[in-house]
Amino acid sequence: MGQEIKPADAKLSHTTALILQAVDAGFVYGFSIMEMTGLPSGTVYPAMRRLERDDLIRSHWERQSIADAEQRPPRKYYKITSAGRGTLEVTRKRYPLLEKLIPSEEESSV
Amino acid sequence: MKSPLEPLLRLFNLSLLCGSSMLVPAKQRTEWGREWRAELWHVRRTCTPMHSISWCAEREVTAFCLGAFKDALCLRRQGGQMRMRAVPQGSAAQCILLLAITMAACYIAALLLPGVRAERGLVAGRVNPGLVLIQEAGYNDTSTPTISPAQYRAWKGHKQQYFDGYAFYRVTRQPVDRDSTIPDSRAMPEWGVANASANLFWLLGLPLRFAEPDGLADDSTPKVILSEAMWTKEFGRDPHVTGTMLRVGTRLARIAGVAPNGLWKLPGKVDAWLLEPDPAIVSGGAGYVVAHLTEAGEAEMWTQCVHITAYKPDESEDDLLGISIEDYRPGPWVIYLFASLLAMLALPAITSVSLGEYSPSPQQTSWSRRLYRWSFLCVKIAMLLPIVYFASMDLGYAFITSYSNSSIYIQLVSTFLLCLFGLRWVLQDQRKRCPVCLRLVEHPARVGQASRTFLAWNGTELMCMDGHTLLHVPGMPTSWFDAQRWLYLDTSWEFLFAGSGAGLNGGVIP
Repeated sequence: MGQEIKPADAKLSHTTALILQAVDAGFVYGFSIMEMTGLPSGTVYPAMRRLERDDLIRSHWERQSIADAEQRPPRKYYKITSAGRGTLEVTRKRYPLLEKLIPSEEESSV
Repeated sequence: MKSPLEPLLRLFNLSLLCGSSMLVPAKQRTEWGREWRAELWHVRRTCTPMHSISWCAEREVTAFCLGAFKDALCLRRQGGQMRMRAVPQGSAAQCILLLAITMAACYIAALLLPGVRAERGLVAGRVNPGLVLIQEAGYNDTSTPTISPAQYRAWKGHKQQYFDGYAFYRVTRQPVDRDSTIPDSRAMPEWGVANASANLFWLLGLPLRFAEPDGLADDSTPKVILSEAMWTKEFGRDPHVTGTMLRVGTRLARIAGVAPNGLWKLPGKVDAWLLEPDPAIVSGGAGYVVAHLTEAGEAEMWTQCVHITAYKPDESEDDLLGISIEDYRPGPWVIYLFASLLAMLALPAITSVSLGEYSPSPQQTSWSRRLYRWSFLCVKIAMLLPIVYFASMDLGYAFITSYSNSSIYIQLVSTFLLCLFGLRWVLQDQRKRCPVCLRLVEHPARVGQASRTFLAWNGTELMCMDGHTLLHVPGMPTSWFDAQRWLYLDTSWEFLFAGSGAGLNGGVIP
């Protein structure tokens, strides 16, 4: 008999886990994740594509009016999904230093 | 104040993004480009100083842009994987698609190869029917010319019951030069020249390129027909070559046309044909005679060869052999049919022609399913045969630009081998396809032990990934289990395969 693999069971590499942790911590666009993690663009963006493909994060475009008000182009923001949060919980057990490297928003505020 | 270099640097960064966007699948390109341009705007604002150029910062920005190539490649790979998932592995559609691609590739190669083009042109311009090549009966092959011009003139001078047209040709090496004013023939290159009757091409019915509109008769000046190879080599494929004077040996002749590659299948390697009236053909060396049969002659022509008795000028008998020119050298189609037939006869020697046992299962092997299965087999064979034809032509003429014996042999052998192993693949492939969905069965598993053959079967079990069937192939054929058998799975098994499509995503581990 077979056993179904749930998204939460998916194993992430340390780099991908770091990026997912960064998204969860409130770094919601590619460049901010690059700055936070110190990873190059050629690593961060492909990893985010894979996370989005696996429904661990999702993206949306900023409203044009907001960008116009600040006289800049609109950005694409990323947000962690519930499945992504479940995966991150499992991944944090594998990589205990993850939260110390990038503390989540609640912990930072505390 | 802004640096004048800044717009150039921006342009350079944008061009990097633009170049990398070419790797992104077209559907995602616009949004992808929009995101990267927006990010680039922010990167420039954060990294570069406002009123000056920092090369260190520019290097950072460029490194950021170069990362776009990796991102684009990642998206491209994801798109490729999605497409691969859309077409189930080993499906009938995938098989037909692969065969169609192979057939198209072989056909395109056949269109491009000059040798194949020449052969196709030859098929379009076959020789006139009812022609025979006459030679002395004592010679086994046609490589030796045996008929003297005097013999030819004697036959032509008498009314014949079985022949109503003759032409003579003799191949010799002769010095030929484009410059008709050079008196010294020793300095001229030598060509294989056929001294031929003026009506040779007319009798054979072979088409010429750039032929003079007034035909090849009626003019006392000897005329030369160039082979396409010589026309290419000496005249650079000049379309206005007709009318040019050539010195052939000691005589002047005018070019009257070009014979396309592969057209000439009669004995002798010829670079040019010197067409002249029969009395002008110098006596001496032997040559070949082409004759056209009358209706009475055709009635006597039972086989490819016919024995002819002729009378010499001194009334002695001369035994001759007439060989049908149509059958003299087989065309590619004849070779293909012959080799394919041989391959079909040899097929049982290398594989079983049985497709195995399809045990009856009324709900799963309906007439429509059986028709689908047989149609698939027929389509595969129907697609294999043209593939073999074009591939064998490609192999035969890959390095040969015109008709030759070696190309015939290569085509013969390659047709036989491709047809033989191609048909074996067709049968083997069919035997491994689920009779319900025609998908290839997978995951072979050894079942049983060879030492217990008399108590239980042993062999290999394979399964259809859509959950329709299991295939049992006996490891050792026995009187009660000699051919592969299909076991149809009922609906109670469906839950096991419910996620087989998603299994590619790692959804289900069987």
